[in-house]
Amino acid sequence: MTTKSRAWGGWLWIAPALVLLAVFVYYPILDNFRLSLYSWNAFSPAHFVGIDNYRTAAQDPVFWRALRNNTTFAIVSLICQVGFSLALAAILEEFVHSRLRGILRTIYFIPAVISITVAGILFSFLYNPQIGLVNRALEAVGLDSWTHSWLGEPSTAMGSIIAMSQWQSIGYTAVLFVVAIQRIPREYYEAAKVDGAGPIRQFFSITVPMVREMTTLMVILTISGAFLVFNEVQVMTSGGPSNSSQVLGTWLYQNAFLQDNMGYASAIATVIFVITFVIAVVQLVVTRKRRVEL
Amino acid sequence: MKRTPIIALACAAVGLLAIGACGAPGASSASSSASANLASPTTKTGTISIITKFADPRYAPYFVNVAKAYEKANPGVKVDLQQVGDQPYKDKIRVLASSKQLPDIYFSWAGDFTNKFVRAGLAADLTSVIGPDTEWGKTMSPAALKTFQYDGKYYGVPIDLDAKFMAYNTAAFAKAGLSGAPASFEDLLSDCAKLKNADYTPIAFGNQYGWPAIHYITQLNAYNVAPDTLSKDYTPATGEFTDPGYVKALTQFQQLAHTCTTKGANGLSHESAQATFINGKSAMHYLESVEFSVLTKQGGAPASTANSWSFFQLPAPSGAAGDAKALTGAPDGFLVNPQSKNAALAVDFLKFMTNQQNAQQLVKQIGWLSPVQGSATESNTFPQLRQALDKINGASQFAVWLDTVTNADVANAYLSGAEGLVDGSQTPEQVMKAVQATAKKIRNSAG
Repeated sequence: MTTKSRAWGGWLWIAPALVLLAVFVYYPILDNFRLSLYSWNAFSPAHFVGIDNYRTAAQDPVFWRALRNNTTFAIVSLICQVGFSLALAAILEEFVHSRLRGILRTIYFIPAVISITVAGILFSFLYNPQIGLVNRALEAVGLDSWTHSWLGEPSTAMGSIIAMSQWQSIGYTAVLFVVAIQRIPREYYEAAKVDGAGPIRQFFSITVPMVREMTTLMVILTISGAFLVFNEVQVMTSGGPSNSSQVLGTWLYQNAFLQDNMGYASAIATVIFVITFVIAVVQLVVTRKRRVEL
Repeated sequence: MKRTPIIALACAAVGLLAIGACGAPGASSASSSASANLASPTTKTGTISIITKFADPRYAPYFVNVAKAYEKANPGVKVDLQQVGDQPYKDKIRVLASSKQLPDIYFSWAGDFTNKFVRAGLAADLTSVIGPDTEWGKTMSPAALKTFQYDGKYYGVPIDLDAKFMAYNTAAFAKAGLSGAPASFEDLLSDCAKLKNADYTPIAFGNQYGWPAIHYITQLNAYNVAPDTLSKDYTPATGEFTDPGYVKALTQFQQLAHTCTTKGANGLSHESAQATFINGKSAMHYLESVEFSVLTKQGGAPASTANSWSFFQLPAPSGAAGDAKALTGAPDGFLVNPQSKNAALAVDFLKFMTNQQNAQQLVKQIGWLSPVQGSATESNTFPQLRQALDKINGASQFAVWLDTVTNADVANAYLSGAEGLVDGSQTPEQVMKAVQATAKKIRNSAG
């Protein structure tokens, strides 16, 4: 087989995947961008408005609030689902007895297998201002002044949703970090111990650098997930009260399907795509530069 | 060689963009003719497609049974019935409308929700078959028919009658020393203080998704603003919302929310709040007549509540400038796709669904009121439901739900503002300013 025919053969093999990607990924992205240049909905003829929908977004306080909420979501998720999960995984692997380790891993993982809708409803009960466990617990320890209508006050609604999301995701990311830590050769830790390194030093000098690829993947997934978040908010508050817990996903949905502003919704979708795309590219570039070879 | 994939992808991208740019999105244009051949079919054959928002297991079986009964009566006809939930329906029907895949018959809320389909030429003009002077139209409540009227033509077949009432626990009222329903809005506020003293939450109110507050505001707007002004403002092309009555309505709502209702209502669902009324912790609850059945023994309420509740229309404030006899509510209904090849058969099916026998079955099986006159009898309903029907018949007009009667953006401004009024983060003036700004934007785009 000549080099040329082998090259064409390669293209042939990847053609089905390329076609599927083009039809179901790239075409929708490009078409969504085109749609964002129109003012349109299901009931009226479309007309070209250029970048008006993006101007509307720039002047829309709810859009900026949603973006701020997504950013807060991303920062908290990074701290909890990457930082805290990594520490949790390291503690599980280093200090916990192997029998107990399996049980704890399962316990931490259970929230991840609960449907987000079920978890959302469950937490709606926990946050219920009248019968919710959170307020009851605070009252039981004399912290009555700390009780809130957690999902019903603009100052606490978003934080309450973020807390639920962390509860659900920390176990999942911790288990992934456990897998990454188990791949690190034990000799490194033994050598470090011989050199007098304590557990904390071992964590920062061996574990953290050796799970960098997993960390990068987690960072990308966590940040992307934070900007794509929809279900948690939709189930628990639908963006309320007074749009205080809107995120880009719910604001997009509301504009598309409740307010008949499909063009504006497409513009929001483009913004979400650009944000997540840029974050992914930056992360990939940074990772390539810092890759640690075993 | 390394450049090849990039070039190929770039070419593909440009190609796709070019393909995508071929057509503009959305509805091509409003059809000038939304008329279809509605004459009764001589031979009934074919398939009718219908979509409802009644997937709730309490309601779905009724529609399934009607479809089966129609098929049995007309062996040549197949009814393709799809039922989805309330919220998913809003997405689905828009996607179907946009892709020109509307079924022969589809559900619609009264108000601007229906009017959007009418303006886009997606709803058949049914005046010739269901107008008030027609044989079918005469069987219907005129007020229900009128809510689906647009530019003098009738587009919808009402399927139920729904209105909002304040249910109250008569035992709780007696314990608080109250003799009966308050005569005015001011009396209601003072009654709340007495009920609080008797250890009751005066009004069970869960406003987690905003619409329960909107129902109060719908009624208070009707009380405080003249009907003509309301009608003008609820129309997207002419809405201004500058009448001082709107601020008065919001002020009254905020007073009610802060004086009478459950603390932290924005974090509580309507159903959770309703549970506190059912179990006797709250003295009043503002609910729709279609929900009345949950207050009965058959609906699962304890005897202490089921045997001691009555209701009243939210009382009007003294000296209010609007219509004191308007009642919040509206019928739900079905529209017919004017492009349907089976439009006549679809109308025949809807006539069957709303005949006296099926209307009585709707009242009995689901506990809703039917717009078909004479369908609520002593044998198929309970006293409070019949009293509700009397109140509906005695109302001067329906004050259609604010979140469906007006443009969706305006409704959203109201929805968001009402939540702010409940938690005290916004004032009535601030809310109306946002509503006016949104209405102006909609007016400009409509013009």
